[in-house]
Amino acid sequence: MTATTAPTLPREHNDAHAGPMEKFVYDDAIVRKFMLAMLVWGFVGMLVGLIIALQLAVPQLNFGLEFLGYGRLRPLHTNAVIFAFAGNAIFTGVYYSTQRLCKTRMWSDTLSNLHFWGWQAIIVSAALTLPLGITSGKEYAELEWPIDIAIALVWLGCFGVNFTMTLIKRRERHMYVALWFYIASLVTVTVLHVFNSLEMPASLFKSYSVYAGVQDAFMQWWYGHNAVAFFLTTPFLGMMYYFVPKAADKPVYSYRLSIVHFWSLVFIYIWAGPHHLHYTALPQWASTLGMIFSVMLWMPSWGGMINGLLTLRGAWNKVAQDPILKFFVVAITFYGMSTFEGPMLSIKSVNSLSHYTDWTIAHVHGGALGWNGFMAFGMLYYLLPRLFQTQLWSRKLMTYHFWIGTIGIVLYIVSMYTAGIMQGLMWRFFDESGKLQYDFVETVTAIQPLYWIRAIGGLLFLSGVVMAGVNFFMTWKHRPAVYDEPVHEAPALSALYTDPPQPASRLTANTEFGHQGDVVLQGWWHRVWERRPVKFTVMTLAAVVVASLFEQIPLFLIRSNVPSIASVKPYTPLELYGRDIYIAEGCYNCHSQMIRPIFAEVKRYGEYSKPGEFVYDHPFQWGSRRTGPDLAREGGLRSHDWHVRHLEDPRQLIPQSIMPTYAHLLKQDIDFESIQARVRANAMIGVPYGESVKDGVAPQQAREQAKQIAGDLVKQGGYEGLETKKVIALDAYLQRLGTDLFKPADAPAPDKAVSAAQPQKGGTP
Amino acid sequence: MSLTEIMSAAGLTLYPIVALVLFLFAFAIVLARVLNKRDANALEQHAHIPLEDDTLTKQNGGAP
Repeated sequence: MTATTAPTLPREHNDAHAGPMEKFVYDDAIVRKFMLAMLVWGFVGMLVGLIIALQLAVPQLNFGLEFLGYGRLRPLHTNAVIFAFAGNAIFTGVYYSTQRLCKTRMWSDTLSNLHFWGWQAIIVSAALTLPLGITSGKEYAELEWPIDIAIALVWLGCFGVNFTMTLIKRRERHMYVALWFYIASLVTVTVLHVFNSLEMPASLFKSYSVYAGVQDAFMQWWYGHNAVAFFLTTPFLGMMYYFVPKAADKPVYSYRLSIVHFWSLVFIYIWAGPHHLHYTALPQWASTLGMIFSVMLWMPSWGGMINGLLTLRGAWNKVAQDPILKFFVVAITFYGMSTFEGPMLSIKSVNSLSHYTDWTIAHVHGGALGWNGFMAFGMLYYLLPRLFQTQLWSRKLMTYHFWIGTIGIVLYIVSMYTAGIMQGLMWRFFDESGKLQYDFVETVTAIQPLYWIRAIGGLLFLSGVVMAGVNFFMTWKHRPAVYDEPVHEAPALSALYTDPPQPASRLTANTEFGHQGDVVLQGWWHRVWERRPVKFTVMTLAAVVVASLFEQIPLFLIRSNVPSIASVKPYTPLELYGRDIYIAEGCYNCHSQMIRPIFAEVKRYGEYSKPGEFVYDHPFQWGSRRTGPDLAREGGLRSHDWHVRHLEDPRQLIPQSIMPTYAHLLKQDIDFESIQARVRANAMIGVPYGESVKDGVAPQQAREQAKQIAGDLVKQGGYEGLETKKVIALDAYLQRLGTDLFKPADAPAPDKAVSAAQPQKGGTP
Repeated sequence: MSLTEIMSAAGLTLYPIVALVLFLFAFAIVLARVLNKRDANALEQHAHIPLEDDTLTKQNGGAP
């Protein structure tokens, strides 16, 4: 089958020290399971994406049902496509290629199956909890603490152990570079998930991030950006380095370049997270560091892209004929586009325009649909005939999938680029009298047609997934009655093998240090690592952990990074409960709470945000997209009555609004008794709640404040009888936002702070 | 004196910049390994590993 001839240098299994020949059978059943799960969850995740895309064009499409609200479904969409679709795609690729690159079956069938079923159980639990509003409120890490623990156990205990033991028991001495990318993914995702998910539980379904404000934002985007790096990039690069050569029947263009690609990503990527927080309350040095490393990422990423594309040198005629290679070529091209655009967006001046707009959404979907999606589907079509041991049912349908998917991506990203740049410019546009030209809602109305084009693009892409599903089902239907399981033979790794000796210095006259340096530069130590999976894993882990600590320790331990503000006090118990509602409803998916020190922004929203304002925010709620306006200075801007009616139905006050209705908050009761545990959990992580932690105090304080707000509401001409309803708690929280900065430093302590919920500046809009 | 106070007084603002230089240095060493011409043949051989799946000795082990 191979068109190229491997060099004749003797391999270990050909030399005198090769171990005895051993027989083995690959476990393809587990690959088939993950492949099916990838397709099913891909359909579900993208369908939810289409629904929320349509909700932005037609907000009534949530049918007034709380669990179909945009804020609850958007985390479901992101979690489903990242961890369910891309996750199962990764496991499909890893389980198939690792066995073949290591010339061995996976170490434990039991762990393989525990991994599969455990991961699917986690996905189901996410699908159940997120629409119910059970969320920790951190983007891409929304799942609550019991599920977080399950993720750590399944990822590390099942997948990690099984994968590492398979490497140790392999029959191929050299670990091919794809395996390096898998190793980096395994260890880094573990570190990211564990440290970003450190939470203080208040109950089975409610916890608070142990980090607050600036530090929580920093941890979140250290996690968020590196989840893109080590969940959506490195494992897919490993798949690229395996499946593209297989599909093209040619070795990778440059193995040297693949090594540079790997280490540069490991060394550089981990630093880049702060570019998500430009112009925020994050210290400037951290933001600049993130920008510098992000720009540095451009070159190695393009090195990898070029390596992938040039693997097809001399085989472009195959690309014209083979839809699988077409999927791979478009995927690698989107990898190149995304990794050019990412560094560009990380440059502060560009980011000041792009941040909080749909430009980011376009960037993300170019990567997700183009790179991850098409790599996954290229791999799917490569594997279908091999795993089901029959011909692909319809090559024509595969071709249609490629073209409809490509058109879908183009429609999606072009419309979102246009929407993002247009809205970003409109936000900063001043008229000739020096006033902002556009109200916020006008900038939303202007991009509505583009939301329709985006939805059409998404529908086309989803149609392609359905085609893949039909092809999958029909190919599976024509499978043999019993799968053939070929028995392979390869020699075991010899126990007598020893690494080549350390080379001598090539220098003739030099200091001892010079000789040692020359020996290091000859790279023998790296060749040894390439044959030792545990050592390689440890060194990769060290690179990631050391880089993370270099960035995090100064931020956490140098006091000047987050100067305290004497007037900033903890939320009252009722406001804390209202904040939990804000988080549960996913308000952070559309509203930021971070005014950047940019003239147009200060003009629109008020005084720019200070780091010390967020020291009691567990978790931070700065957001990443302004589908609605910023709320950092919302407190006191409007009356209680305005907020209640706006939450009941936003369009009765702002006809053009695309915000969902929250009428259920006017009907559902506040769970006053749960507030005590919430206050105590916050106190445990450093929020000075004083007397409020004592039995029964916090609920009583909450009742008093709710009664007072409900009374004021009636005086403003609002509804009666809402003093026990959730809407009052959410209103209390909204009325508090951004007000502490302007209070005197001796403002009331939290246990006497019922009056703190009173608006500072009254009036209706 | 707390750890925060010690760290705040330690003047570590250059700390991340030093790390940047260290990481670039480590990367340069990896680059040196990659550009070592003596490895050309071995690297070429490694690049062929994925293409060898189908050249392994196979026997019909399962049912037809």
